[in-house]
Amino acid sequence: MSQGQQQLKHLVVLMMENRSFDHMLGGLSLEMENGKKKYPAICGLTGEEWNPDTKGNRIKIQAGAKFQSQLDPDPDHHFPGVDLQLYNEAPQGPGRTANMMGFVKDYFSQTKDVGRSHNIMYYFRPADLPVLTTLATEYALFNGWFSAIPGPTICNRAFAHYGTSFGQVGMDIFYILDRTILSIYERLLHAGKTAKIYYYDQASSTMEIVNLLNNQPQIFGTFDQFVGDCQKNALPDYCFIEPCYSDHPGPDGGEVLASDQHPDHNVREGERFIARVYNAIRTNPDLWPNTALLIVYDEHGGIFDHVPPPACAPDGYVASAETTETGAPFVFDRLGVRVPAILVSPWIPRGTVVPGAEDPVNGRIFEHASIPATATEFFLNGDAKRTPREEKASTFLHLLTDTMRADDDCVVFGNLD
Amino acid sequence: MPTKVIDVPKTDPGAYNPGRAAGALLQAQAAHMREALRKRLQEFITLVEVDLTSFKTEADVSAYIHKATALLHTYHGRPKDE
Repeated sequence: MSQGQQQLKHLVVLMMENRSFDHMLGGLSLEMENGKKKYPAICGLTGEEWNPDTKGNRIKIQAGAKFQSQLDPDPDHHFPGVDLQLYNEAPQGPGRTANMMGFVKDYFSQTKDVGRSHNIMYYFRPADLPVLTTLATEYALFNGWFSAIPGPTICNRAFAHYGTSFGQVGMDIFYILDRTILSIYERLLHAGKTAKIYYYDQASSTMEIVNLLNNQPQIFGTFDQFVGDCQKNALPDYCFIEPCYSDHPGPDGGEVLASDQHPDHNVREGERFIARVYNAIRTNPDLWPNTALLIVYDEHGGIFDHVPPPACAPDGYVASAETTETGAPFVFDRLGVRVPAILVSPWIPRGTVVPGAEDPVNGRIFEHASIPATATEFFLNGDAKRTPREEKASTFLHLLTDTMRADDDCVVFGNLD
Repeated sequence: MPTKVIDVPKTDPGAYNPGRAAGALLQAQAAHMREALRKRLQEFITLVEVDLTSFKTEADVSAYIHKATALLHTYHGRPKDE
């Protein structure tokens, strides 16, 4: 175990909403410095990626992403829609290969406008996202972190809490079909550890409702409490932060903006939220050396990414053809679309890039089951009943090295008041 | 060397739009919340409809009181000295 792992006391996970890797970070691969690629190890965009539109035109990726008002209506990211995005109407059956060519077609099915359907191919210039791109290049960026299911939010977030969605591929309420598979919070609490979910406020609340909110109210707190717990050195061993999911009036009559970055919520507000989470840890010298922060997105939100999702260990459940709405059952044997994922710690060398599927020798694949897998391995020595999927999921704390970076070598974000 | 400070741009004025149509995620969240309330309501109903004459022993009554107290605490909050 490295020095960084030995020092580690707290693992914090911030899960944002509905943006793909290429959309948010793919532009880093196009940055040049002295005539060379500035970030050659990042598996982002080449500038040549394209999708056909419904008129048969080749629509190349473009640096035209906007903070808001561009992805409205909300791009489809339910199971059949993602199936179209990945396979571009290839018939169901053996040997089917994802070619990532159906994103524009799928968005046209919602916009009914050929021009607007091209918006799904837009990516952010790195300078537009100073928080995410800074953290991605200052700490560890995963080239191969995929959403757990080629589907929407609820089932993907379930993997982060339970290491499975218990067969669910949609937005319906999911129930725990195997009571021996506990959430990561229950596993930790039963072992005498501490764990919490911090939702933004009561008007935004949590997406883990029926199971945990109903049965485990003690594990919840608000974002203000997270900030306070950071200041008081009272952070639990493990915690999961949920951004604000809606624009709503604040308790004092002020304006509370959604910070989840779910289309069509303002991406810049999400940037500010990520910065606030980072600063809460970074600016406490008693917390910073012994805390690791994972920033990850739940799924791609229907937005283009060029890397085909790889196969994965089945988790023992089967979603019927009726529930997948694709005409075929799903056995949870492949992942969803790639999403941004960044691990932050002063024990991580600047510019660390974790290779993914692009590196067949050293690459490793991560997904949301990697979250409870890592927490279970680190805090409980792996002692918990888990699904086969979680047991096989890659863990990530090996990225913490023996060398801690100097305090003045780690950035701080300003202008957040 | 001073710590590098990166200023984060302010969110665009006018971004706030509570009148935006609620999307599928928020609609699902509301449905899940209602289901959680329904389950909690069922717990109340079960305790309210109990036949008090069925309690014969102190253990019977205290078991009921325990459940009722716990449920009421989840609604009204726990006593300050707990």
